[in-house]
Amino acid sequence: MFLVGSFFLFAAFLITTCIFVIFSKNPVNSVLFLVLAFLNSTFLFILIGAEFVGIILAIVYIGAVAILFLFVVMMLDIQITTLMYNIKRYVPLALLFAGIILAEIIYLTVFKTSKVNIDTFIRSKNNTEQIGDVLYTKYFIDFQLSGIVLLLAMIGAIVLTHVYRPTIKRQNIDSQNSTTAKDRVQLVKIKPGEGIKDD
Amino acid sequence: MPSLSLEITIGILKIFSFVVPVLVSVALLVYLERKVLGAVQLRKGPNVVGPFGILQSFADVLKLLTKENLLPSSSNKFLFIFAPMLTLILSLIAWAVIPISSTYVIANINIGILYLFAVSSFGVYGVIIAGWASNSKYPFLGALRSAAQMISYEVSIGFVIITVLICVGSLNLIDIVESQKNMWFAIPLLPMFVVFIISALAETNRLPFDLPEDEATLVAGFFTEYSSISFGLFFLAEYANMILMSSLTVILFLGGWYPPIDIFPLNAIPGIFWFVIKVFLILFVFLWVRATFPRYRYDQLMRLGWKIFLPLTLIWVVITSAFLFYFGLLPN
Repeated sequence: MFLVGSFFLFAAFLITTCIFVIFSKNPVNSVLFLVLAFLNSTFLFILIGAEFVGIILAIVYIGAVAILFLFVVMMLDIQITTLMYNIKRYVPLALLFAGIILAEIIYLTVFKTSKVNIDTFIRSKNNTEQIGDVLYTKYFIDFQLSGIVLLLAMIGAIVLTHVYRPTIKRQNIDSQNSTTAKDRVQLVKIKPGEGIKDD
Repeated sequence: MPSLSLEITIGILKIFSFVVPVLVSVALLVYLERKVLGAVQLRKGPNVVGPFGILQSFADVLKLLTKENLLPSSSNKFLFIFAPMLTLILSLIAWAVIPISSTYVIANINIGILYLFAVSSFGVYGVIIAGWASNSKYPFLGALRSAAQMISYEVSIGFVIITVLICVGSLNLIDIVESQKNMWFAIPLLPMFVVFIISALAETNRLPFDLPEDEATLVAGFFTEYSSISFGLFFLAEYANMILMSSLTVILFLGGWYPPIDIFPLNAIPGIFWFVIKVFLILFVFLWVRATFPRYRYDQLMRLGWKIFLPLTLIWVVITSAFLFYFGLLPN
């Protein structure tokens, strides 16, 4: 009873916050509602006993991804009216993605039956150990492939944003540390009336 | 089977038994900080209010409470008020999983260390929301700095935690402490211990990494616009976070509630005493560092996080796991 009630509570919160993500006029508020949406999905994961997945979701999405979103969005100076106008343009694309995800969910829940008896599987060990058991053995290739995809995305982002500017001045710490007094200071004995010759 | 209301009462009492000591020790920590800084700089520090000035922080809190709470007219009112509350809530809910002794903990959960890591990574939201909601340039710059800084150092903290977890084989905080019964992890994992303390300084925005509130360049950083009790909440949260990170250091590296050597007069002393004394020592290191080191420049901070700590911790994870695997010491 308590579990079912909490499920509906968090699911309702999740859907509400998702709606607010779309319809908030201020993009910063949108990102903050997105954070709430992530938090609610974390609670949903914890409710089904997958606390490891839930907390990892919170760490990765709330602790890193959403902060970077917020970081970027806070620095934008967006005209709110143009933003609302633009949303309508993306509706077909959004429907397409929603359709794909719906089809995936239907495929997974209706047509594909799991070979493992999930109930006994879940009870036998805690889910952290279960993931640890299969991640590097059964799903080794998938895991490495997703790693490579992430690496490519990272390299792509660096290539796109990194501009080499020869005029920019940077601190060269090695050369600073290897500098001795001789390189910088010269002791000169000046005879009266001569001064230093500039060379 | 105790009734539900009794269980709830016990739960609330347990929560208070953590929150009240934490808040009182925040006040004492502020006093200690001023005394330590005074001693380092050959001053007396606070010595007027109460015996040895020990009531100084309580007087300061009363002063803050009686001041007017100013709301900047151009700020986002809701987020402006919400940010300090969020910061304090996050620094207090983390205590739910901290084990003071092998039996005394509010919630002994399987993934305690991940919960702590998640909560401490949420801490940046209070800062960044405060900086943005103030709608003013210094808080905004402070918020941007702190977001970048906390994310950078979380990466190395994550790898340090992974190194410890490889040695323990469990994410439960009590298991982590109990696996240190014979040998504190600070000894075999000394470099990670040092990296963790330095990263903890950066994560709590303490000197020498307090760039989000760098008064020389940013007035007071993200809480420039805050006054009265909302400033007080930030202040409380910062010091509560310091105590939290010290407790985490003690749990991960200094053997929690275990005495240094397991011999008679030492192991007769209750574990909570050892825990508190170790937390106190780490806190003293925090204050000592503040009195000793100058503030880092921003690019130096980023360089230290990404180019030194990240490769070092990453290599150490590989070395530790390879060592444990080769000698068959991996925990089951």
